[in-house]
Amino acid sequence: MSNEENMITTDNPLNKVQQKKLASLLDVIIPPSNDGRLPSAAEVDLITYLQTHAADFMPALVQTVEDLDDQFTTLERSERYPIVEELSTTSAAVFGMILFHVYACYYQDDRVHQAIGMESGPPFPRGNTVETGDLSLLDPVMERPSMYRRT
Amino acid sequence: MSDEPVDVLIIGAGASGAAVAWSLADTRMRILCLEQGDWVNSAEFPSTKQDWEVQQFKDFNIDPNVRAHDTDYPINNDNSPITVVNFNGVGGGTILYAAHFPRLHPSDFKVKSLDGVADDWPVDYDQLEPYFALNDRKMGVSGLSGDPAYPPKQPPLPHIPLGLVGETVAKGYNKLGWHWWPSDSAIISQPYEGRDKCLNLGPCMSGCSQGAKSSTDITYWPEAIRAGVELRTRCRVREITVDDNGMANGVIYYDPEGNEQHQKAEVVVMACNGVGTPRILLNSRSEQFPDGLANSSGLVGKNLMFHPVGFVQGLFDERLDSHKGPQGCCILSKEFYETDLSRGFVRGYNMQISRGAGPVGTALQGLGTGNIPWGPGHHEAFEQRFDHVASIGILCEDLPEEHNTVTLDPELVDSDGIPAPKISYTMSENSRKMLEHGLARGEEALKAAGAKEIVAGGPLGPAGWHLLGTARMGDDPKNSVVNSWGRSHDVKNLFIVDGSIFVTAGGLNPTSTIQALALYIADTMKKNLANLFD
Repeated sequence: MSNEENMITTDNPLNKVQQKKLASLLDVIIPPSNDGRLPSAAEVDLITYLQTHAADFMPALVQTVEDLDDQFTTLERSERYPIVEELSTTSAAVFGMILFHVYACYYQDDRVHQAIGMESGPPFPRGNTVETGDLSLLDPVMERPSMYRRT
Repeated sequence: MSDEPVDVLIIGAGASGAAVAWSLADTRMRILCLEQGDWVNSAEFPSTKQDWEVQQFKDFNIDPNVRAHDTDYPINNDNSPITVVNFNGVGGGTILYAAHFPRLHPSDFKVKSLDGVADDWPVDYDQLEPYFALNDRKMGVSGLSGDPAYPPKQPPLPHIPLGLVGETVAKGYNKLGWHWWPSDSAIISQPYEGRDKCLNLGPCMSGCSQGAKSSTDITYWPEAIRAGVELRTRCRVREITVDDNGMANGVIYYDPEGNEQHQKAEVVVMACNGVGTPRILLNSRSEQFPDGLANSSGLVGKNLMFHPVGFVQGLFDERLDSHKGPQGCCILSKEFYETDLSRGFVRGYNMQISRGAGPVGTALQGLGTGNIPWGPGHHEAFEQRFDHVASIGILCEDLPEEHNTVTLDPELVDSDGIPAPKISYTMSENSRKMLEHGLARGEEALKAAGAKEIVAGGPLGPAGWHLLGTARMGDDPKNSVVNSWGRSHDVKNLFIVDGSIFVTAGGLNPTSTIQALALYIADTMKKNLANLFD
């Protein structure tokens, strides 16, 4: 392992090797879609998300990644899957938290939003169109006599 | 900061405090409101940001113990399956509420007479009706007249859109022949009083960036302040002080710098919700009031009522665009609201149809239920669920029981050292049966609407929005804390205007009724100014 690979940069608490392992792990948790429309979870910025929203969890993530074998990054996704599956049972609590944060991070990403049919950007000021609805559906309710109890 | 005596001191700038401040402003009395939180800045609400859903995990969490702002106070929920949720700031709970805005029904004020349980209120629907209507206009309420579940009423604005969720579920209700109606919503569907209409952003419950949701910081407060009411933020009241005659003469509070201050007042009005009000009263012990202020009945902090909430969620084949539109406001059903003892319980529940979650919420719910797996199949499972869900909330009436309490925690304190509230609550057998019934009927409704997969559960834990009954109204000082117009039986210049004065809870969101009561009390105070303390 080179010194560079062991270096922890200011912005990222993981060294290069750990970053590669993390990317390989995330790529198993949410792989890219078969049609290429949706990115892999390795392509969204989990580290920045955690630093912003769940910094307390970072040490547990770093330790989990560190515990993965160095060879993990060289395996095909299908070969990594059983290793991650084992991790999900041997370290269920930490793995559950990883899933929570990966899902949250992934589904707040603008590329993902667009890929699932949402418009780009935050809800405000864009807004959404919602149909008023067919009020003739109320006809049978309107035909009912009043149903509140008189006092 | 002036410490000159004021005529009226209001504690709390939320739903009821704002309404009473606005109403009393035309007396030209010197009115001061002390609020422990800040003004909120709508530009900072999550819906202005890309990570709008994730922000609800922490800074905009509905649970003060999770949010843990310095303007929040901790709450010990260890002895309750339902935990208290709130917001502390100008607007109070209306900042993060869903704005589902039904009124209590006429029968809700007469539960003893009609059903032989709990007690009748000392006021009734007819007395409050003008104040309901006034409040609808002041807040800006959207709805549709003609609902057979109510006496005639006319919401000032057209109902908010049903959308595909509303239409789909409505068809299910129609198949069953059950009642449904577009919800009265404190969300403006048209431009109104200088505010622009709802944009259907979705996440109403983390604040409305558009200002279309009617929170009191943008409805009552601007008018009240223009009329001369002073509102001081970051001022947390510790206790109400009394003079030698047992009359309230002011409050001790901590100013924004944490310094202890004594504010003198001729009249004190409490608007701190069903947890905050008993907390302050119980902390206002003195030689004259060793059990806390206004507590000769022993009922301050007792009879805490929540609304136990269940949720039924249906998955549909067709896309419902369910993340679009006001989250908690769509349609409702009162089919099971009024008492029918053949159901196995007394009183009833509201069915509140709500829209679906955003992508993060969908993914995490799917993670929790195991329906959205990690690894292969993830995208397909997500796609089946996102925007394909409709939900029914079952909101049950909780009856008052003295063992459900708010007390002072012997150890836990807030950042000013004031004892924190401790909640002790168990759900009654009646509420449990009601919830089971509601969950089953919710499944039936969603099945009739075409849901292919249904999950149901309750009571939800972090759902203690509605904090009621802990300083109840009544005519008899032996079994009530305040009289029929909110005045303490024991301390004639102390008034309570928040949800603590509810005698019973009804089975629906209480903000409309809380505010109507506050306006009614303020009006009665004005009519009795000459002999307010007699």
